[in-house]
Amino acid sequence: MQLLPEQIAKALVTESFHSRRMVVTIFVIVNLVLLVAGLLWPKSYTASTSILVDERTIIQPLMQGAAVATDALDRSKNAREIIFGRKIMDTVLEYGGWLNANPSVEERELLIETIKKQTSITPVGKNILKIEYKDFDPERAFRVTEKMAELFMQESITAKAAESRAAFAFIEQQTQEYQDKLTNTEKELKELRSSNLDAAVTEGQLTSKLNDIRSRIETTTQELREAEVREGSLERQVSGEAESTTDMFRETQYQTRIGELESKLDTLRLSYLDTHPDIIQVKQQIQALTDNLKAERTRREQATRSGKANESVVNNPVYQQLRREQSQNQSQIDALAARLAELQRQLQAEVGRGKRIHSDDARLAELTRDYQINRDIYQDLLRRRENARVSMNMDRERQGLTFKIQEPASLPLAPTGFRFWHFIAVGLVLGVLLPLGFLAARLQFDPRVRVGSEIAAAHKVPIVAVVPHLWSPAELKSLRTELVFLSIVVLGTVGMTATASVLRLMKVL
Amino acid sequence: MSKIEKALNRAREGGLQVVPRAEAPQAPTGTSVVTYRSAHPETISRMAQSESRMLAPSDLEQRGIIRAQQGEDPAVQVFRELRTKIVQQSQGQNAIVLVTSVTRGCGGSFVSRNLAAAFAFDVGKTALLIDCHLANPSVHELLRNASVPGLADYLENPAIDIEKIIQPLGIARYRLITAGKRHEAPEELLTSAKLRQLMEAVRRRYVERFVILDGPPMSKIADTRVLADLADYVLVVARYGQSTSTQIANCVSAIGDKKLLGIVFNEEPRIPRIR
Repeated sequence: MQLLPEQIAKALVTESFHSRRMVVTIFVIVNLVLLVAGLLWPKSYTASTSILVDERTIIQPLMQGAAVATDALDRSKNAREIIFGRKIMDTVLEYGGWLNANPSVEERELLIETIKKQTSITPVGKNILKIEYKDFDPERAFRVTEKMAELFMQESITAKAAESRAAFAFIEQQTQEYQDKLTNTEKELKELRSSNLDAAVTEGQLTSKLNDIRSRIETTTQELREAEVREGSLERQVSGEAESTTDMFRETQYQTRIGELESKLDTLRLSYLDTHPDIIQVKQQIQALTDNLKAERTRREQATRSGKANESVVNNPVYQQLRREQSQNQSQIDALAARLAELQRQLQAEVGRGKRIHSDDARLAELTRDYQINRDIYQDLLRRRENARVSMNMDRERQGLTFKIQEPASLPLAPTGFRFWHFIAVGLVLGVLLPLGFLAARLQFDPRVRVGSEIAAAHKVPIVAVVPHLWSPAELKSLRTELVFLSIVVLGTVGMTATASVLRLMKVL
Repeated sequence: MSKIEKALNRAREGGLQVVPRAEAPQAPTGTSVVTYRSAHPETISRMAQSESRMLAPSDLEQRGIIRAQQGEDPAVQVFRELRTKIVQQSQGQNAIVLVTSVTRGCGGSFVSRNLAAAFAFDVGKTALLIDCHLANPSVHELLRNASVPGLADYLENPAIDIEKIIQPLGIARYRLITAGKRHEAPEELLTSAKLRQLMEAVRRRYVERFVILDGPPMSKIADTRVLADLADYVLVVARYGQSTSTQIANCVSAIGDKKLLGIVFNEEPRIPRIR
């Protein structure tokens, strides 16, 4: 059951009375322990100094974006690393007089660990570092703090200068490397360009040239085909002309003559018999003409088959004209064929050159890319090198990082940390709260019932009576004695504490 | 302390004999009771005649028994209130009240002897305390002569009469029956019919008599059940800082709601006034 606050308060009062001996015992023990602890607790003195770390000098705006300032958040961490470094710690050990006792290596380590624990380095605001050192000796606390600040400033400046130098050296080396790379790339580019002078032709130019050659090839081919067609035509015309000119003319004459004689024969037959000599003569003439016609035909066919023009044909002026044209045409065909072959050769050459140009282009692009990248990096490095040089010079001139003691360390007069009064006060408070806390915990967690209403609520059974303890006179008498004793014990403890406090105030203890 | 009690105390200190007025009989609850009452019209005045030497206040304090004169003591007031509750509960009739403890050491005997004393405060009532805790009796310690016959002797020996075992303590209207001699198996005696007869007899003998049974703790559950059966009401005594909630729950469920009057939470620490 959850007890109400007033029930807890009432129960705590009765429980405190019930367990009065335990309460008083705890009170006395706690007070005595803390009194002894307070007396034995060594006084500690804290000396502190504040250092203003200023990186924003007049030069910084001029160097904006060039010199990089340290992050303020890391400053205390850096300071801790520097101060707790072996170098400063060894100096501090010597300066603080710890080495007078000739400590062994292990003891020195322990001493350094102790000094580290007693030193606190905290950032105050953005640019101020506070160094605090706690010691049992106020004089030593003051001197060690002062020395720490001094060593820290020295070390920081030296470290920063060294850092700048190292950075400059690194960038310098990188710059040199990139310069070499750039030179090599430039050399390669030059070689490539000189070995392929025609590599200057662009792809567009090449394409247009190829197109031009192709169109010329087409034109030449077309002309050639036309010339060939004309050749065929002339051939036919030459042979046709041979037939039609003389032979055909002669045959026609024979056929006309035969026709005339046949009509004359028909006329004679009207008047005469076939035996008439005129008729016989006419018949003979017709026969002779028919034979001539046949012979002419045979001869013409033979001439056609052999291809040889006979003399009469050759002498024909039309034939001669045709033969002249045919000859001209033939020479044109020859010229066109030669041109076509030349154009084909040119086309092949151009295609080959195109292929070569492509491969060279790829190599060129690669080299150009390398060149550009190297050049960019090189230029960037050059800029950085100059920045690093300025930073290095700034550090050399102590312009980059300045330290100023904002608040110098002073000799601590009052002790800090847990003091005698704290122990006394804590003893008194804890002496009361500890037994009460114990009783409250017992009230909450002990299953044994201590509040009557708890039973009624838990089991739905009425509490018919809550019988308080019946004090007999003898018990009351012994209680009285006990209470007097306990009061004396409590008062004695408080008195002892008060006496110790007064003696402490009088600096007797 | 009521005005009547104060007046009675003053009268007693002045050597006066107080005879309460006989009350008109209540509405009959049973024929036998009425018959018995009319046959044995014993009164408190007669009982007063048989009172032995009274115990001094120091004797009572030594025995842990409250006195009517300690009217301002919270413990005395609590027992008075408890007595009133029982009287109200019994509606004017006398009653047998069993007082048992959750565990041994809860103060069941202390509560029972003081509850009997609270009944005896009232001049109109008498109290009889019977020690039923045969295994570990304590009531005999109240007597100067502890070797008187008690409950076990009566139950065992038919020759012993009731009058022989009822002992005056030295407080007005307060009688008691000790546990008697130690018995090898006291549990068996409690189941005898003679105990039931005894209860009926003591209830009837004085109509104003309230019988308080100082029972064994609930760890002897069989004995407690027998006694609870004989009693009209049962009080369970739990002790501050000793009895756990679980133990109390077990007792409550073992006894049941019918006769359980409630829990007496004993020995709550009290800061006394010290002069």
